[in-house]
Amino acid sequence: MSKRVLLHVGCPKTGTSYLQDVLFRNQKVLREHDILYPADRFDAHFLAALDLMTLPWGGLETEAVGAWDRLAEQVRDWHGTAIVSHEIFARATPTQVARALESLGDAEVHLVLSVRDLVRQIPAEWQENVKHRSHITYAAFLETIRDPARDSRIGSWFWAVQEIPDILDRWGASLPPSQVHLVTVPPSGSDRGELWRRFSRTFGLDGLDLDLAAERENPSLGVPETSLLRTINQRVTSIIAPPDYRPLVRELLAHQTLSRGVASARLGLPPDDHAWAQALCRDWVGAMSERGYDVSGSLDDLLGPDLGTFADPDTVPADELLPPALDTISALLVEGARLRAVEERLHEELREAREERDRARLTPSYRVKRRIVTSLEDSAAGRGALDVYRRARGRA
Amino acid sequence: MTALPEADGAGRAHGWVAHLRDGGTTPWLAWSGAGAPLPGPLPGAQQLELLRRINLAAGSSAGSRGDRHRERTRLADRVLAAPAAGRGKADLALVGAAHRGFGPAPVDPATVSAHELLRVASVVLADDLVALGPDPVATSWPRPWRRRVRLVGDPLVAAATREHLLGKGRPEGGPRPFVVAIGRPLDELLAHTWTQRCFETGATPWAEWLRFWRERDQLPARADLVASVQRWGGRRPFVRVVTDLDLLPRQAGVRSLPAVRVPGADQAELARRVAAVVGLRVDRKDRPGLMRTLQRRIPDSGVAPVGVPAREHQWVERSAARTVRAVQRAGYAVVGDLAGLEPRAGAPSGATGPDDRQVLDLAIRMIVDPGWRERRGGHQGDEEVER
Repeated sequence: MSKRVLLHVGCPKTGTSYLQDVLFRNQKVLREHDILYPADRFDAHFLAALDLMTLPWGGLETEAVGAWDRLAEQVRDWHGTAIVSHEIFARATPTQVARALESLGDAEVHLVLSVRDLVRQIPAEWQENVKHRSHITYAAFLETIRDPARDSRIGSWFWAVQEIPDILDRWGASLPPSQVHLVTVPPSGSDRGELWRRFSRTFGLDGLDLDLAAERENPSLGVPETSLLRTINQRVTSIIAPPDYRPLVRELLAHQTLSRGVASARLGLPPDDHAWAQALCRDWVGAMSERGYDVSGSLDDLLGPDLGTFADPDTVPADELLPPALDTISALLVEGARLRAVEERLHEELREAREERDRARLTPSYRVKRRIVTSLEDSAAGRGALDVYRRARGRA
Repeated sequence: MTALPEADGAGRAHGWVAHLRDGGTTPWLAWSGAGAPLPGPLPGAQQLELLRRINLAAGSSAGSRGDRHRERTRLADRVLAAPAAGRGKADLALVGAAHRGFGPAPVDPATVSAHELLRVASVVLADDLVALGPDPVATSWPRPWRRRVRLVGDPLVAAATREHLLGKGRPEGGPRPFVVAIGRPLDELLAHTWTQRCFETGATPWAEWLRFWRERDQLPARADLVASVQRWGGRRPFVRVVTDLDLLPRQAGVRSLPAVRVPGADQAELARRVAAVVGLRVDRKDRPGLMRTLQRRIPDSGVAPVGVPAREHQWVERSAARTVRAVQRAGYAVVGDLAGLEPRAGAPSGATGPDDRQVLDLAIRMIVDPGWRERRGGHQGDEEVER
């Protein structure tokens, strides 16, 4: 029976990919210390979240059948501490939360929520939308999420996974505050290891010999790069299906190519939106500071950075789009060449297989048999005779 | 109904849930009675309003007893526990009920859109379908003298023909088969292709799906007759392009074929939504059997099938002309008239896609009336039956 479950349910864009990568790659070391991170593939907990929340996801959901129940069973059967982590759990409804907590058995559940200020989360979420096929402009995105009705697909999703007090109400309502842990993302410019130290303390990983090399991250893009990607989406979203978009645009272009533009301006908020976001965060901090949660870092981290210079991604001039556009063309040509080489190799293999088959068919006995079969296939009686023969030979 | 005492927000909400579980139909804003707190979280406005509409459709009255009552309560609990499938609004709170101040704004459930209610209804129906299991597939011993055919083209007609042939001991395929490409006017072929896909793995919405192919200036694999023939390695003497369905039986090696049932736009759209949820409930290999079962059993509603909207007509005409040229160049034998591949003149001028309200009506009818789940479908009798 598991003694303790650390249930990390969000938020997106708070270093979760890095954390999950470390946990996934260090499963063996963790087990040696009675910590279970049950995942046979990197996205195992993502699939469990899709299953728990009945979320179709561009075809990936067919790999998620029964994933939550399997995960919960492994957690229930574990004798020590178990960790479950995926940021889209943040979106679960109260009914789904109740089901999830019930299925974890009588283990002591600790809720973990990693959080970051809205001043940085809003631009990051727009980028994430752009990396998931959206071509909404930044201005329209800001207007959408500021609409109190939250009627749109983007608005309803954004607040479901980013409104920290609401997520805590849904997930933490049945837990004592001492079992609810907030990990705040340190301010920009902090030591790169600080976020990991906060995670490590909360998850009880201090002192373990873990491989912390970053193999999988979700890098952010600069302003011109995001603007270019959005423009590309305008052209391709309607004609590139999700299974092709994921490897070609999101992975190849966004993650492997455009994220290299480290010198580009970073995206922030316009002054009015900045003031609104900070005021909202201040309200949240006020509400949460009275709840008595365990906080790794400081709730003040949620107030976000001061207003900086705003570079508008909706009005990036063409000369700034040109360098990343050339990088994009170059990356696609290299990928095209690689795929051509793969195609060429497959054609070669097919040609060799056909030659081998044709050599086998050159024998006189094969030719005679072929002629007999061909003539029999031309009549119903012949086909019947062939069928009987094939059945007798066990080839039908 | 007995008069109930006025209640605070939370008590009123619990009372309304109990009222709906009992078959009640009073709208939330007209409700004022109190109820004991429920053991779990309060369901969302989507689930509650769907249940109210189901109760309305069932013509039920609160307070009845017996098996019907138990059955209704079981159904109510399933509806209230069903999540809203897919990315969309989270479960919505009731306006006037207790609210913590965070989360989406509370709503009057009566204003929840048909689209949102369908997200819940499709989960209930998908679970019904999974519980029902796949209908048996009728087969019989393969007749050795059968004509070997491989069916491509119109997926609706091909699927129905394939199933019929299998039941008659004439399974598709075999050595050196004739490739029979079933051609239709291209607008109809596209509509049939999308419709059949809804009853298989699901698809993007009709308008989005059409736009995808139009902007690519390509045809979906199964609507591209020449490419379909080539995929099966069809050589000219062994290929027949059939544009006259009356002549299809002979090409398939039988005297007659049953009429093909073309699902309406609402049926296809509902199947599209159900298929997405079924994909999350069963292994990939089990989904086709379940969706085929739904296709057989889904009740008729009299709604017309989807049609190609006017903005796509030019592209459809161009694509059809290209297909005709490709068939002529390939020199395939045509059974019927090649003009039968061209889109029909005077294509639909009214609604061409599904209407969410009609789809919701159908979904509610299927939830309320379990008839479609009770009749066993398929062709049984003296034929061999296998799952």
